[in-house]
Amino acid sequence: MRDRDLASTQPGKFWVCPECDLLMNRRAMPDRHEAHCPRCHSLIISSKHHSIEWTLALAIAGLILFLPANIFPILTLNTLGLSQSETIFLSVKALYDSQLYAVSALVLMSAIIVPLMKLLLMAYLSACLLFHKPAPLLAWAMRSYQQLDSWGMLEIYMLGILVSIVKLVDVADVTPGIGLYSLTGLIIVTLLTSTQLDKHRFWRRIEQLEKR
Amino acid sequence: MQHSALTHGIIICQRCEKPASIEQDKQQCPRCGTRIHRRKQHSVAYTWALLLASMIMLVPANLLPIMTFKSLGKGDPATIMQGVLQLLEHDMLGIALVVLTASIIIPVMKIIGLIILLLTIQLGWTTNMRQKMLMYHFVEWIGRWSMLDIFVVAILAAIVQLGSLASVTGNTGATAFAAAVIFTMLAANCFDTRLIWDKHLEQLEVFP
Repeated sequence: MRDRDLASTQPGKFWVCPECDLLMNRRAMPDRHEAHCPRCHSLIISSKHHSIEWTLALAIAGLILFLPANIFPILTLNTLGLSQSETIFLSVKALYDSQLYAVSALVLMSAIIVPLMKLLLMAYLSACLLFHKPAPLLAWAMRSYQQLDSWGMLEIYMLGILVSIVKLVDVADVTPGIGLYSLTGLIIVTLLTSTQLDKHRFWRRIEQLEKR
Repeated sequence: MQHSALTHGIIICQRCEKPASIEQDKQQCPRCGTRIHRRKQHSVAYTWALLLASMIMLVPANLLPIMTFKSLGKGDPATIMQGVLQLLEHDMLGIALVVLTASIIIPVMKIIGLIILLLTIQLGWTTNMRQKMLMYHFVEWIGRWSMLDIFVVAILAAIVQLGSLASVTGNTGATAFAAAVIFTMLAANCFDTRLIWDKHLEQLEVFP
């Protein structure tokens, strides 16, 4: 019973596995190391080298790629002298024109708005953390990023493009456009951002900045 | 001896994973501002409700057509399964398997997986804990990939717009299917894996 009282007065001295609630003593984590829960084997901590620098660079690269990925045609269909191009927004509009309003809103969210929001939040957050600049809404930005994380679905959109190409091979001539290459780059950058993000380091830095 | 943090009066913030004392239960996390709960609230009930909703939505999702491919004025609305069969007719076995897996096998597997996990908690099963965690992580990760068919409809509807020559339009089945996928994703989010381990610990030590 005394153990219990002692522990709860100093919760900062411990790690808790978020998946199975195992209580562990806190210890220092060197860069580029991972800690797994000894009981349920979930990844608890994965510390990254230069995490803040990397995420800032990747977020800026992603913002640069976002524009061409959304403006230029991803695919162009040519048949009998007719041609039709596709961008992500045009696919949202096509669903809207098919009277599937909810689905078109969902595609708009998961393929355009959420990926853009994630990049903007990460660029803002990592820039502030890198330059040690206390700024408003840091905790909000990190929280929103974590909440939005699984709702950005560009990589699934990409698989959809591949399936569509295969479906259309017999029917017509399909050529990839600049949009497809930019989108590929954007997906790679987005995936790298989530692997380079050391969320515990980010949260600790946010805490330090907000205490000032 | 492995101890659960809760038995020692420690809870963590769901969002930023900062440890806190049990006295901060239902208060805001000092670091990120999220309300801290010792376990996700009403986890089992919410997960069941969302699972039920997704099971119901899967019925119209598979019976109603999701898109119409019209070529020279001919073509009927097709359901997900008919789309897969059309791919098979055109000898595209690989892509047919991808679509079949993403649209039918994954949603069904996810629902079965989450039901097993819920029953684990409710019936107090304490075997194969690690396999169950693995299953949960798999269900959580794979869920989004079911959106594949929705994106295919969106892309085809945008690109195949050649007037009377060929056109693709989406149908109502897509709405039901999207709803089913969203509900299973939300169900996986509502599930609290710690509840599985709590049952396991209840047999080992006294729970406050």
